[in-house]
Amino acid sequence: MLAMGEVHTGLLQNSGEISESTCRQVLGLMAGETVRVSRRPIPHALSPERLTGVDCALPSASRSRIRGVGTVVSRCAVTGGRVAQGSSYVRVVRSEADRRLPWSHYLSRPGVVEVLGKAKAADLAEGFVGDPAPGCLDMGAISGRFLDLVQASPLLDRRAPFRIPRTSLRWVAETGEPSIRFTLHTEQERTLRLTHPGPFTPAVVDLCEDLATHDWLLTSLLIIVERARIGATPGAQAVARLAPAIDHLLHLWMPAARVEEWLRPFWESLERQPGFTRQWRSLVDRVRDQIATSTLALLSAATEAGRR
Amino acid sequence: MTPVHATFGEVAAERRIASVPLSHVSVELGHLYMEDFEAGPGRLREQFRKVAPWLATVRALWRERVPGGRARVSTCFLIDDYFSRFSTPAELVPMVLEAAAEHDLTIDYLARESACAESDGVELARLVEDRLVDDPPPDTDGSRPPVKETGWLCNGARSPRTTPVQAMGKARPWEPPVQNAKRGHSIFVDVELWDEKGSRRTWSCPFLAAVWQLLRLGLLRSEGRVPLPPVTLDGGWPRDWDALPAVVRLNPQATPFSAYTTLSVLSPRFLPVELAVRTILSQVAVDDEVLRQVATRSENEGIGLEEELVDRISYVFV
Repeated sequence: MLAMGEVHTGLLQNSGEISESTCRQVLGLMAGETVRVSRRPIPHALSPERLTGVDCALPSASRSRIRGVGTVVSRCAVTGGRVAQGSSYVRVVRSEADRRLPWSHYLSRPGVVEVLGKAKAADLAEGFVGDPAPGCLDMGAISGRFLDLVQASPLLDRRAPFRIPRTSLRWVAETGEPSIRFTLHTEQERTLRLTHPGPFTPAVVDLCEDLATHDWLLTSLLIIVERARIGATPGAQAVARLAPAIDHLLHLWMPAARVEEWLRPFWESLERQPGFTRQWRSLVDRVRDQIATSTLALLSAATEAGRR
Repeated sequence: MTPVHATFGEVAAERRIASVPLSHVSVELGHLYMEDFEAGPGRLREQFRKVAPWLATVRALWRERVPGGRARVSTCFLIDDYFSRFSTPAELVPMVLEAAAEHDLTIDYLARESACAESDGVELARLVEDRLVDDPPPDTDGSRPPVKETGWLCNGARSPRTTPVQAMGKARPWEPPVQNAKRGHSIFVDVELWDEKGSRRTWSCPFLAAVWQLLRLGLLRSEGRVPLPPVTLDGGWPRDWDALPAVVRLNPQATPFSAYTTLSVLSPRFLPVELAVRTILSQVAVDDEVLRQVATRSENEGIGLEEELVDRISYVFV
């Protein structure tokens, strides 16, 4: 019927970026399973996937009681040794039985939640990206716990260079005529409606995680620039406030790096409207200009002092 | 110039899952505990006498089922060296083989129970523990972590705790536990997976038996590799259990150790253990890719395999 998920993104609770070997340990959530690491074009580490069993009401826009039983897939990721994510998703399908089956049935279909009784995909999709009622499938809580799991690792020093809130991206993907709708809700909440050609594959999850990473980067850089109060504070002070962005964020922008070819057009359409990279570049330019002006001011002050 | 299509790959970014050769059925001819050993070779002969006709039946059934009649049936025997250490391989194994031969039984593979806990640096039991996904009672929506009693696993919701007198002074009446997938009435099962004394963890017999079933079904992988592949022993039987490989191939002509299905011929006294084993196995999430490998292989052979892994396991209690 459809797939839905939620990605929580935050700054890794560590003073600097972590190495690949630390990443492997932090993300080693399961004995005997390897952490997948890619180094190009940006270091990215992905934990093994774990399942959580659920038997509960599914979100529905019409507030009808729709029962779903199955497992949620979750995983954690660290990008650039710096950005941490907890991500969960399910594929929702109709059950062939009208009652709950033995648990082994659901475990033979990992990542699938079966709907008992009648349900409409559109109703579920609207319900999930809308405002899910309490007591409904809470993938936010699951993703949040997985992100906590990474952040609580004893290998991290918990001395993050700045405080930035986590963001959450709730997404729904359906098969159909390609379209994408990205919506900002509150400061930290985003939703994504995606219609893709062909059947759902985990590559769609990669796309959502990649979008979540970049949305978090953009949100964080905006916050840092805002906090620097450029123009309202002395140049040197503003530059000091911008420094963490230079040290920790600016090199992480790598849109669609891990997105499969057939899903790239979705990223590209978001680049046209609203234009993530356009806004990122303008912010980066602003940061660099500020530093250049400040450096010039310092240089001329030093020259002045030398003349005297 | 025409556009060049580039592909780029990184080995560390891919998951590589080895595949394992598979028989059609793995038959466990017996499981030897210290008490059986102490009862003398008579007990063992009696076991093999009871098993022999069932093995013949299984062979016949699979010959009918497999196109061309080429059924791959492998046999195995498990010795407990985990809960108690007795005798030595050099003394015990020849005795077992001799007793089997008296009833024309060939034991293809011999395994040590402690290998199901840990062997060759692979902690199979931990591996399986990490793959447990608790059977959720109704209204489990993911908002809270699963309710767990450390070291225990059940098939439903436990009885709420009954304290003699509640804060308000009213005694709370007993409420029953409930099985999640009950049909009419509950059969509630709560299994102890392990206990710990100090830092030493002892896995329970059902938990190790669940690992043993998964190993026989070829569904375990460690870092993508097949753990504990059978080893042919050169030279004689060692004098120490630790010197014995986890799984020994006794018969060079044997079909593969792991199989699509398993059959265990056991004494009815193991019935409660096996109920516990099934409770555990129905909450083990086997790797998706491994499940797919086995499914594809069986389909290519024209064999329809049960989807749920507990349905691939059968027993004869005699």
